[in-house]
Amino acid sequence: MDFDFSEDQEQLRDAVRKWVDKGYDFERRRAIVNAGGFDRAAYTELAELGLAGLYVSEDHGGLGMGPVEAMVVMEELGRGIVLEPLAQTLIASAVLQTHAPADLQSSWLPRIAGGEALVVLAHQERGARHHLNRCKAEAKEAGGQWTVSGSKSIVPVGDQADAFIVPALAGGQMALFLMERGAAGVKAEGYLTQDGARAAEVSFANSPAQLITRNGQTALEEAADIGSACVCAEGVGVMDKTLAITAEYMNTRKQFNVPIASFQALRHRVADMKMQLELARSMSYYASLKIKAPEAERRQALARARYQLGNAMRFVGQSAVQLHGGIGVTDEYIVSHYFKKLTQLEMTFGDTLHHLGEVSARMQDTAGVFA
Amino acid sequence: MDLAFTPEELAFRDEIRTWVRANLPKEISDKVHAAQRLSRDDMQRWSKILGKKGWLGYGWPEQFGGPGWNAVQKHLFEEECALAGAPRIVPFGPVMVAPVIMAFGNAAQQQRFLPGIASGEVWWSQGYSEPGSGSDLASLKTRAERKGDKYIVNGQKTWTTLGQYGEWIFCLVRTSTEGKPQTGISFLLIDMKSPGITVRPIKLLDGECEVNEVWFDNVEVPAENLIGEENKGWTYAKHLLSHERTNIADVNRAKRELERLKRIAKAEGVWDDTRFRDEIAKLEVDIVALEMLVLRVLSAEKSGKNSLDIAGLLKIRGSEIQQRYTELMMQAAGPFALPFIFEAMEAGWQGNFPGGVVANAPLASNYFNMRKTTIYGGSNEVQRNIVSQTVLG
Repeated sequence: MDFDFSEDQEQLRDAVRKWVDKGYDFERRRAIVNAGGFDRAAYTELAELGLAGLYVSEDHGGLGMGPVEAMVVMEELGRGIVLEPLAQTLIASAVLQTHAPADLQSSWLPRIAGGEALVVLAHQERGARHHLNRCKAEAKEAGGQWTVSGSKSIVPVGDQADAFIVPALAGGQMALFLMERGAAGVKAEGYLTQDGARAAEVSFANSPAQLITRNGQTALEEAADIGSACVCAEGVGVMDKTLAITAEYMNTRKQFNVPIASFQALRHRVADMKMQLELARSMSYYASLKIKAPEAERRQALARARYQLGNAMRFVGQSAVQLHGGIGVTDEYIVSHYFKKLTQLEMTFGDTLHHLGEVSARMQDTAGVFA
Repeated sequence: MDLAFTPEELAFRDEIRTWVRANLPKEISDKVHAAQRLSRDDMQRWSKILGKKGWLGYGWPEQFGGPGWNAVQKHLFEEECALAGAPRIVPFGPVMVAPVIMAFGNAAQQQRFLPGIASGEVWWSQGYSEPGSGSDLASLKTRAERKGDKYIVNGQKTWTTLGQYGEWIFCLVRTSTEGKPQTGISFLLIDMKSPGITVRPIKLLDGECEVNEVWFDNVEVPAENLIGEENKGWTYAKHLLSHERTNIADVNRAKRELERLKRIAKAEGVWDDTRFRDEIAKLEVDIVALEMLVLRVLSAEKSGKNSLDIAGLLKIRGSEIQQRYTELMMQAAGPFALPFIFEAMEAGWQGNFPGGVVANAPLASNYFNMRKTTIYGGSNEVQRNIVSQTVLG
C-alpha cells in the first residue's frame, strides 16, 4: 500500500502542468470555445507531449503507461479545464489494444499515439440514458464487410474526430466497430456542450466499419470505466483549482472593511469543500487503482468512486459560485467555467444517481476498500 | 502507487487475526457485535489479555516495551480487533497518557507508571474538560498551588469518560494566571483515591453513565507527579492530540457496524426497499472513501515523503459516519426501536422484546450515545475552523 507518486510520474505531472499554465490560458480557451469548442492544434500539442500515446504500447509508438499516469495527466488537464478530449483517446487506445485484431491495432494505434488520428467513443443513444446494455444501432455482415446503421448522440468532437468506436447489435449481440468519419453514409452535426466543448449527433446508414470485437458489452463496460476513472481524475483537478481560485478571491475581496475570508459562515463552507475534495481525491486514486481489477470488483469500485465524485463536484462547483457572489455568475470571470465543467463531468459516463443504483445493487455483506 | 498491502503486511495481518480469534473471549465479542453493554470487567478483561501479550500499548516503541509497529501495522491491528468484535481499547492509559509520560516524563515516572498501563492493571481517566471549558479548553480554572513538595488542587473536571472506574487521572491544571491562558497550565498525575476527590456519574440521554463530574477539594498531590515543567502542560497536551491521527476516524469499527446495519435491514425487511437500501449504499461509499483517506495518511506516514495534515477531516467525517450508521440502524427497526427497556440492552436477557427481536433493543440507545461524537475531541465546528485555516490561512 503506497500512495506516493514516482519521480517519473511527478515529472509527467510537471510537464503537463507547464503546458497548461503556459500554453492553455483562459484567453486561449475562450477563443477555442468561440471557435466551436475544439482546437486540433491544441490537441496536436498534447500529442507532441506524448499524451495521445500514453496508453499505447511502445511497440505501437506510444508510452505504454498505466492508469496512474493517466490519472496524473487528467488531473492536470482538469486544472486547466482543457477542452480537447484526451480521455477519449485513452479510452479508444485501451479498447483497441485489448480487443481489436492485430491488423486493426497496427493500422490505428501508431496514428493515435502520434495524434494524427483522433478516435472517440460513439455509444450514447437516445433510449439508453446511462445504461450500457441498451443499443439500437445494427450491424450487418456481407461478403466479409461489415456495415452499421443507427444514430448516436453527444459524441465528443463527433464532427471532427477521424473515427468512432461504435457499439452495434450483430445478430442480437452487442459488438464494437471502428468506423471512419469519412465512411459512406456517415453524417455528423456538431454543437457546443455545457462546458464549452464540442459534441455531435452522428448517424450512420449502411456505413462500412471494421469489427473490433464481438464481446461488445464487456468491452464497452471497460471503456466506460476507463472513462469514469478519467472523469474522477479530471474532476479532482478541476475541483483543486476551483478551491484555489475561491480561496484567493476570498482573501482579496473585502466587505465591511475586511476580507470575506474572515467570516466563519464562509470559512465553514470552505472546510466542507476541502472535505469533498480530499474524499474525491481518495476515491479517484481508488478508481484508477481498481481499473485492472476483475470485472465485478472494478465495476463496483468505479460506481462507488463516481457516486463520491458526483456529489463532490456538485458541492464544490455550487459552493465556489456562491462564495464568489455576483462575480461568480458572470461569464467573464473564470469560476463559472469551472462550475460548468464540474456540472458536465457529473453527467458523463453515468450520473450520480445512476452510480448510486449500481452501488446499491452490488452491495455485499461486507464492504471496504479491499472488497 | 499501489493499493495492495505488501506480503509482509499481509502476513502480519494474518498473525494478528489468528491471535485475536484465539484469544478474544466469545462472550465479549458477542456483546460487541450486538452493541450490548460492556461492563468494567469486560473492558478490563480484554485489556489484560492484550497486556499480557504486550499489545495493549500497541502504539508504543520497543524502548518502552511496546511492539514498535509502524503506522500500517498499527492500523492492521486496530482493524483486526474491530472486525473480530473486540471492545475498543480504553484509550486514556495506553493511547493518551503513556505517550506523554514517554516523551516528557522523567525516568522515575516512566518506571512507576508505564508498567501498570501496559498490563492493563491500572485504569486511567482524563481530566481536561471543565464546566466552563469545553471547546475553549485553555480557559480551564482548576488550580494547583505549589506548597512545599506538594500541589494543592481545587476545582472541578467534567465529562470524565468512565471516570467512575478510574484509579488515576491525568489532569490539566492551572498553575499560573499570568500571560496567555495556554502558558499557565501544567500536566499533573493524580491518584483518584486521594482524599478530597469526589466522582459523580452523569446520566446521559441514552440512560447510561458514561461520563462523570470529578471534584477536587484541597487534594494533595506529590510534586513528583508533575509531568515535565510547570506551565508547559498545554504543549504536552497538544503532543498527545497530534499522536492521535487515523484512529480518530474509527473506520474499522464503521466497517463492522455497516455489516450489522445490513443484518438489521434484512431482518427488518427494508433491505429490498430501494429507498432504504440506497441510504445504506451511500453510507457504504462514505465508509470506503474514509478508509481510502485513512490509507493515504498511513502511506504518507510510512514513507515520510509527504505529510497530509488532514486530522480535522478524519475527525469530522469519522464522527458523522458513526452517527449515520446508528441512525440508519434505528430507522431500519422503525417502530420496534421505540421500546426503551434497559434490561433488554444487556446480554442474556430472557424477556420478550416487543416485536420479538431483541437485537433491536439497544438501537435507540446507540443512536443517542453517538450524538457525542461530533461534540467531543474538539467539536466538528471547531474542526472546520482548523480545516479552513489550511485552505484560507
